[in-house]
Amino acid sequence: MSKIVLHLYIAGQTPRAERAINTLRQMLEHDLAGYECELTIIDVLADPQQAEDQKILATPTLIKSSPPPYRRIIGDLSSVADLLNVLNLPPKTGSSMINKE
Amino acid sequence: MKRSNPGIITRCVGKHGPTRRIIIEPPTRSTAEENLRAIVSHDADGAIIVDNSGVVRFLNSAAERLLDRHGAELHGQVFGFPLVVGERAEVEVLRPNGEFAVAEMRVVSIVWEGQDALLITLRDVTFERQAETALREAEEFSITILNSLTNEIVVLDEQGKIVAVNEAWLRFGRENGITDLAAISVGADYFAACAVDKTLTGGIDVLQGLRDVLAGNKEEFSCEYELPTSAGTRWFALRAVPLRGKRRGIVISHTDITEQRRAAQLAAEAEMLREQVRQMERELTNVDALSRPEDTARSRLSSLRQRLPEVFEYALHRYGSLLDEALQSRIHRTQLPPRALRELGEFLGSGWATPRDLIDIHLQAIRQRSAQSPPKKLQAYVEEGRLLLLELMGHLASFYRSLAIGELASRPPEQ
Repeated sequence: MSKIVLHLYIAGQTPRAERAINTLRQMLEHDLAGYECELTIIDVLADPQQAEDQKILATPTLIKSSPPPYRRIIGDLSSVADLLNVLNLPPKTGSSMINKE
Repeated sequence: MKRSNPGIITRCVGKHGPTRRIIIEPPTRSTAEENLRAIVSHDADGAIIVDNSGVVRFLNSAAERLLDRHGAELHGQVFGFPLVVGERAEVEVLRPNGEFAVAEMRVVSIVWEGQDALLITLRDVTFERQAETALREAEEFSITILNSLTNEIVVLDEQGKIVAVNEAWLRFGRENGITDLAAISVGADYFAACAVDKTLTGGIDVLQGLRDVLAGNKEEFSCEYELPTSAGTRWFALRAVPLRGKRRGIVISHTDITEQRRAAQLAAEAEMLREQVRQMERELTNVDALSRPEDTARSRLSSLRQRLPEVFEYALHRYGSLLDEALQSRIHRTQLPPRALRELGEFLGSGWATPRDLIDIHLQAIRQRSAQSPPKKLQAYVEEGRLLLLELMGHLASFYRSLAIGELASRPPEQ
């Protein structure tokens, strides 16, 4: 399985954003602990151009660009189970890595 | 029109006529979708219909306004798969100009153009959230003001329930051994708490005074009460005034006035001692005046202060030091070196000092110390000073006596 590549778009350090980040960290560290993962967090207030390039209409938005299929999720990112289900991510072996832009 | 079941529309026709005719048509897919489109199009909330991939299939004018984008621009673009835990989720809606709105998002599964789809409604709650934030900030500001005050503040509603307290109040509770701070915090019954722990007000009369203000029978209630603590008795001033505003209640402030009380007590004691010093000054001046005939006093030398100011200053400095030493000797129960005072007496005698000069030096030294010393110390200065002055006068007299004897001895015998 190819590396799991996730991009999280947030609008400042809001409670929603913090909740989403915590959920994703938990998901990567526990549920996807054996996978090679890359999570990039983009604050659209600090980098509006990237949001415009990706046509981000609302935050928090989570994009899974790899492995296919491409997925874009908007809304409440507080449930690991729901995220795994929508992202279509069954667990496999690998390692994890988290970046923040 | 009335919706009775999902996807089934019941149409009512001619309801204003003399006879009402109701036609119930079994809905077709196209009719249901047309009706849904009509409802969604005119919805005041933003509505976006996406397919299962999150691609926009439809959006209404309210959604266009909320997003500040044209529908044609977004049609066919990926909005995203909406994820809601529970009934709704909050999202920030981004606008091309960089601003964003806060929206409450709800999601319903529907059939759109024959395909499974999701209807996303976005209600703009930016104003509500801004108002909530402003209210929260205003409340925080009020609490900050209360916490900035050193007085212990408690605010009660008209039932006597605590609606606000400051940090100083809670600290006061802790310092006075109240372990269950919830009993004196927001939500607690103040009068019940005071009935249990009397340290909070000082007594029943106080509680009655507070009740009078709360009932509107008094404009204000204030009192001072003492509180025995492990560090000694402390004094507090309590003041209760009605809450000025739409909400009824009272604001109670407790101010620790122990230091002011002590300062007032010390000031009174100091004033009493100063009066004693003034009295002694009058007595000594009178004694000096009586000790010499008026004409002799006038004919004698002017005061040491005027004649020999340097000698006077030195004697004053020396006498002050001896006074301080005398006080130390009193504390440590030791004796002053006997020669020191005798030498001062001889020094003054060599300058032809009079008892009046000694009194002048003594009073000046006491005055200098009265301004800087606490009452107890000043009292000790006064007591020690009296003894020191008498002894010094004795030395001065001895000096003059020995001078006189020496003078007599040196005279030739009378013929």
